[in-house]
Amino acid sequence: MLYIHSTSCISAQHTFDDVNLVVLNPVEENKLLAVEPNSNQIPNAVLRRMGKAVRMGIKAALSIVNNQSELKGIIIGTANGGMEDCIKFLNQIIVYDEGTLTPTNFVQSTANNIASQIGLFTANKNYNITHVHRGLAFENAVIDAMMLIKEHPLDNYLLGGVDEISTYNYNISLLDGLYKNEEVKNNNLYEIETAGSVAGEGAAMFLVNGKKQNSLATLRAIQTIHATDEKIIASNLKDFLASHLADGEKLDLFLSGENGDCRLNKYTKITEKIADTTTLRYKHLTGEFPTASALSLWFACNFIENKKVPNNMVKTGSIPTEINTMLIYNNYNGIQHSFMLVNR
Amino acid sequence: MARIFITGIGIITSLGESPDENRIALKQGKCGITDLELVQTRYAGKIPFGEIKIETETLKNQLKATESGVTRTSLLALHALEQAINDAKLSASKISSSETAFINATTVGGMCLTDELYKDSNKLSIKSSYLSSYDFGSVAIYLQQRYQIGGIVNTINTACSSSANAIMYGARLIKNGYAKRVIVGGTDSIAKFTLNGFNSLMILSPETCKPFDNNRNGLNLGEGAAYLVLEAEETCKSKKIYAELTGFANTNDAFHPSSLSSEGDGPFLAMKNTLDVANLTPFKIDFINAHGTGTENNDEVESRAMLRLFNEVPSFASTKSNIGHTLGASGAIEAVYSVLNIMHQEIYPNLGFENPIESTKLVPVLSYSKKEISHVLSNSFGFGGNCSSLLFSKI
Repeated sequence: MLYIHSTSCISAQHTFDDVNLVVLNPVEENKLLAVEPNSNQIPNAVLRRMGKAVRMGIKAALSIVNNQSELKGIIIGTANGGMEDCIKFLNQIIVYDEGTLTPTNFVQSTANNIASQIGLFTANKNYNITHVHRGLAFENAVIDAMMLIKEHPLDNYLLGGVDEISTYNYNISLLDGLYKNEEVKNNNLYEIETAGSVAGEGAAMFLVNGKKQNSLATLRAIQTIHATDEKIIASNLKDFLASHLADGEKLDLFLSGENGDCRLNKYTKITEKIADTTTLRYKHLTGEFPTASALSLWFACNFIENKKVPNNMVKTGSIPTEINTMLIYNNYNGIQHSFMLVNR
Repeated sequence: MARIFITGIGIITSLGESPDENRIALKQGKCGITDLELVQTRYAGKIPFGEIKIETETLKNQLKATESGVTRTSLLALHALEQAINDAKLSASKISSSETAFINATTVGGMCLTDELYKDSNKLSIKSSYLSSYDFGSVAIYLQQRYQIGGIVNTINTACSSSANAIMYGARLIKNGYAKRVIVGGTDSIAKFTLNGFNSLMILSPETCKPFDNNRNGLNLGEGAAYLVLEAEETCKSKKIYAELTGFANTNDAFHPSSLSSEGDGPFLAMKNTLDVANLTPFKIDFINAHGTGTENNDEVESRAMLRLFNEVPSFASTKSNIGHTLGASGAIEAVYSVLNIMHQEIYPNLGFENPIESTKLVPVLSYSKKEISHVLSNSFGFGGNCSSLLFSKI
């Protein structure tokens, strides 16, 4: 259990300053590129050296950690960290035949660079960690934060998920069949019955602690599963709900990780049926990436805080008048699955 | 909170393919740092590495890992992990239980396939069989599938402190009731990517590294993997127990992306907080397995941090001069070495040392000896200021 006190999100949509989830930025060439806000907190000379994942992570983080009491930990989930810098350095190796290379891209490419840059900018010498477990990188960061809060309920922690689209990981994932070959738009992503989704990127950050007072939302429970059989997912979800929902407690909303990949519909169908409530989906706003679930948690907090849900996100059912309890389900490429139970 | 016991260990390094082989080599002061034979790079023969002299194809056959897309990083992991679970006598049903977690660490992942990655990421060839093997998570995902590990599975990358953090995260899963037993550790193989990265930072030594020596001139990269089985006290009542994990801490130096602050706040706090968790005074520490990479920066800062914390610095040594710096695997490899210190009540020499660093004057352990060991502190410090320490104790 953890309490979320403030949030920030950088995505392809208007999620940062003036939040607007109704007017959507379109998918372009099967990518949903994040809109980067300007920042006056970081010198331009420093920003120029950073890759997009680091820039998104640090901008999203600084927007909620400033003027906060000291953070006792910085906990980041990112599958790839600075992939663009990584392959830029790799290309240098090949092009210059391992000659004299500049280390900037190498240093920027290390996956822990986002968390460590946040540590540097906030002069924070406390717990600092980077979880990189692909589609469960953010979920493991959540588990880590939950354990820290159980250990130290009064302390504040920064929890976040970040990943970028680089030309290179796009190429690799496209070859691997993760993205569609035919061009899609935001409004037909779920209609085209083919394999693959659209690429996405973003960063979501949460200031969390063990104090209920003045919190925006509660993350009550989380579960991660490695499996491909949808029956295992279904039985785990039933157990998860049975052990975490109170008697007679109903889900007000189900936020599904459906991403338009027809091979994965079996998972979203069965979980939707078990959730048995209004189903929302968000990947036509964010695209697919390993830490997209961090953005799903941001959406859940946003709905709870503003008591509204944009119509474009509703798949089935009607928007409830009260939003108290939400289930989030995500899976990455049908191998890694997670459930999060979020409350007002 | 539950006490955390170590009930199984597995390891592969350039010193040997098992804990016993590693121990014999450490006792003899052997150095596994040699010219490269298996990695194609222009630095082969020019810079030495702690290379394991077993070809990737041989490893695949030995380990019956003939699925497509398995990388050297995963194979080294598989070798060490299998040893650890056999050593702890974990049955298949125990491993697939939801109470068994697996926490891996790696900084290289599938990037050991530098040339294939170059081609796939630039779309220069038809797709290779490694498309889902390049990322960090690929190693743990492969091992999860192979062993059907049933609990929480994770991968951590905090550069050179990665597997110390994997051990810490695993222990905390047990303490917080998320698991009853965890398999924890790390793996990294020598990659053209990382060797060129470290070379561009000009911190690779052209000779065998000299940790804590006044004339040290950089580190050697190595490769390897190590895993430990940690179990809650209640689940291993009738089992052999090697040692107890009594303390751990993770801090950040918050100074510079690729070097440590001169006063070493990160390293100092990591060691200090670890002792606080274990509720021990510095005086109780019998031996420190130092991070000791052999770089100008690390060894001096680590020395200063030890001098800050300890009135009298305990016996210490670095094993980087035996096997090189194995990056994401080093914290776990050195955890296994710390367990060997405790199991056999002995300490191993720090190779390549001649003269102490002028400003700190610290002299590491220079020869093998038997020693009464109750508590071993193991340090792992990485890029991005990520510093972690672990404390292993005799039970």
